[in-house]
Amino acid sequence: MIHVPAPDPFAVFGLARSLDLDERTLEQRYLKLSRECHPDLHRAKETGDCIAVLQRAAEINDAWKILRDPWQRARALLELLSPGALERNKKLDPMFLADALELAEEVAFASAENVPQLRTRLSGAVASDMQTLRAQLARGDVDAAARTLHASHYHRKALQDLDAKS
Amino acid sequence: MSSEAATPTSPRLVVGIDLGTTNSLAAIRAGKGARVLRDADGEPLIPSVVCFHPDGRTLVGREAKAERLAHPDRTVFSIKRLIGRSVHELGDEPKRLPYPIVAGERDLPRVRVGERQWSPEAISALILQRVKQTAEQALGQPVQHAVVTVPAWFDDAQRQATKDAAALAGLDCLRILNEPTAAALAYGIDGSKDGTALVYDLGGGTFDVSILRIDDGVFRVLSTAGDTHLGGDDFDELLGQRILAALPRVAGKVGASEDPYVLQAVRKAAESLKIKLSSAERADLQLDLGARGTVTLTVTRAEFEAAIAPLVQRTLDCVQRAVKDAGLRLEQIDDVVLVGGSTRVPMVRARLRGLLGKEPHTGVDPDLAVALGASIQADVLAGNDRSLLLLDVIPLSLGIETLGGAVQKLILRNSTIPTSVTEEFSTGVDNQTAVDLNVFQGERELAKDCRRLGHFKLRGIPPLPAGLPRIAVTFLVDADGVLRVTAREQRTGVEASIQIVPSFGLTRDEVRRMMLDSIENAQADYVAREAIDVRNKAEAMVRGTQKALAMAELPPDQTYAVQKAVKALGKLLAANADAAALKQGCDDLTKVTATIADDVISAAVAKALREEQQGS
Repeated sequence: MIHVPAPDPFAVFGLARSLDLDERTLEQRYLKLSRECHPDLHRAKETGDCIAVLQRAAEINDAWKILRDPWQRARALLELLSPGALERNKKLDPMFLADALELAEEVAFASAENVPQLRTRLSGAVASDMQTLRAQLARGDVDAAARTLHASHYHRKALQDLDAKS
Repeated sequence: MSSEAATPTSPRLVVGIDLGTTNSLAAIRAGKGARVLRDADGEPLIPSVVCFHPDGRTLVGREAKAERLAHPDRTVFSIKRLIGRSVHELGDEPKRLPYPIVAGERDLPRVRVGERQWSPEAISALILQRVKQTAEQALGQPVQHAVVTVPAWFDDAQRQATKDAAALAGLDCLRILNEPTAAALAYGIDGSKDGTALVYDLGGGTFDVSILRIDDGVFRVLSTAGDTHLGGDDFDELLGQRILAALPRVAGKVGASEDPYVLQAVRKAAESLKIKLSSAERADLQLDLGARGTVTLTVTRAEFEAAIAPLVQRTLDCVQRAVKDAGLRLEQIDDVVLVGGSTRVPMVRARLRGLLGKEPHTGVDPDLAVALGASIQADVLAGNDRSLLLLDVIPLSLGIETLGGAVQKLILRNSTIPTSVTEEFSTGVDNQTAVDLNVFQGERELAKDCRRLGHFKLRGIPPLPAGLPRIAVTFLVDADGVLRVTAREQRTGVEASIQIVPSFGLTRDEVRRMMLDSIENAQADYVAREAIDVRNKAEAMVRGTQKALAMAELPPDQTYAVQKAVKALGKLLAANADAAALKQGCDDLTKVTATIADDVISAAVAKALREEQQGS
């Protein structure tokens, strides 16, 4: 089974491809598009529940899900800028992987009083990943950006696991 | 806020219907507000009860409820607890009902009345018909279109069954709407008050909690959680057990708990005890069961609360999970809304207040809020109101079974609907023309722990060597939360036909436990799942590489190197090696093939296609 990527979320939202989107603007845009395209508000025009209307509404919801999350947004952007870059750069530095494994263990065994400090550290790591990624994209180094994105996945996952714990 | 003048191309009258476990009713949008539709006696609530009287009449509503004690085995109530489920899933629930349940086709429950068997859909349809008639009398005109509400936690099968019931009642169901979402609409009709609301909906048989963000007329559900098997009926059941225990034992007679009359009388007495205990500190019961003897019992509120405490705690666990899933903290909830008759129980209110630190809103009658909200959404769908928009979510993840019994999740729970995902599938055997897909709903990693919604058969795949067809299957969840599947073969553009066989294979208990279990068992699931994935991957690699080798013309030294690595991996598979060893074997094979893979595959594919064309 192979996942077929959803349509370009930036195009669905009519936005220029960019890593940096203003959260509030994005949300407003989502609500506006939903009003324009949601099947509920188009029933009266006898469009009914036809697949095309549903599909368009689904595209908007699915694009919103990607764009609102900085990591998923970055992944979609990279895939659009350089298809295959993510697949090509899957192999990560063994040293990094060892660190990531250690981090996952640290999260799994974190005591309640260590959680806030660990959260700050992980949030910092995710933020710094995004900074690095931004710089790499700015100088057009998609391969380095792809590796950063893959690495960032581990930080993000650790943060999610930490949140699920508490 | 913008509100266009309503000039619908085809003005339609659309009512909102709350099809409840205990009571049902309809409402209609009226000006800025909404009003419930009452019968000739001014009553809005229609008991969700149907009585098949021995004299041949079919009674619905209050008349049917009045026959509960006279004809306990012919008076059907709480049918909502059975809809869209299988007999197997119901477990021992039918034993506690005074009317007989038998297994019909595909193990679906049927209510047996004399010679006839009734499906839950058909009984729900009788209730909906009565609601429709009441609405028509109140409005003085025919009603054909409706929005019908369901618990947010209802899955695909239960939603579909409810739609079927509406169709059987002669209603065009324009939307299946989630009850807590409807209630939120009733509380913030024009959506002018922005903020975050938590709707706590404890009805007769189901519990839902939804978190909504209201933003300039857009009601966006952020998360939902619940239990389709927890409600006021369960409170009654606990009180009923106390009454049964106090019943004098009569030697040599059939157990009291198997006598339909006693069951129904006890149920009725328990309900009245519960209602008394909502306003009084203690309640007395004098129950005369004729030959069965008399029960005299006093229950204090403290005793009642101790008995229901674990159930109330379960609802609070759901509340916390929903808040977390919404990405919020408890203190970020601006408003708390109570819906459902069971929220009248003082302990429920007190515990919720304790958890959220806020006084819940009770401005709208909890029995009417859902229908009122449904009528507002009905007005939107009729094209009369374009200022409001509802964005709801799917309550449980949807996925398909992969080799070895793992579930690959395609659509995650709490995704805004409509939503869709497209995956590409291929064949495993040469000239295979059909592919089977099993669709599951639930949060667990393995298929056996999720609920199998149905079985999809893709047909009409062009005969090609294994792995060559590319069938794109689109899973679309519509605005009712119901799944639609379409498929297309990519090379030929042929629309594959899909045959859907709905099934309800697993116990409902598993669905109920799924969320909690998925947290508790996440680790064990992950390990089991990973082992299956690695094995599948290794097997596919061995097959694929052998095939490619046979088709591609490689220099002998390369062929030898690849064959060596394939053999090594094959040996590991035959020896049932663990996941780590298999992973290593896969990596070794990849290393060998990586440099030549592109050439081999493109050559192999080209050759296979050439042979295919020559053959035909």
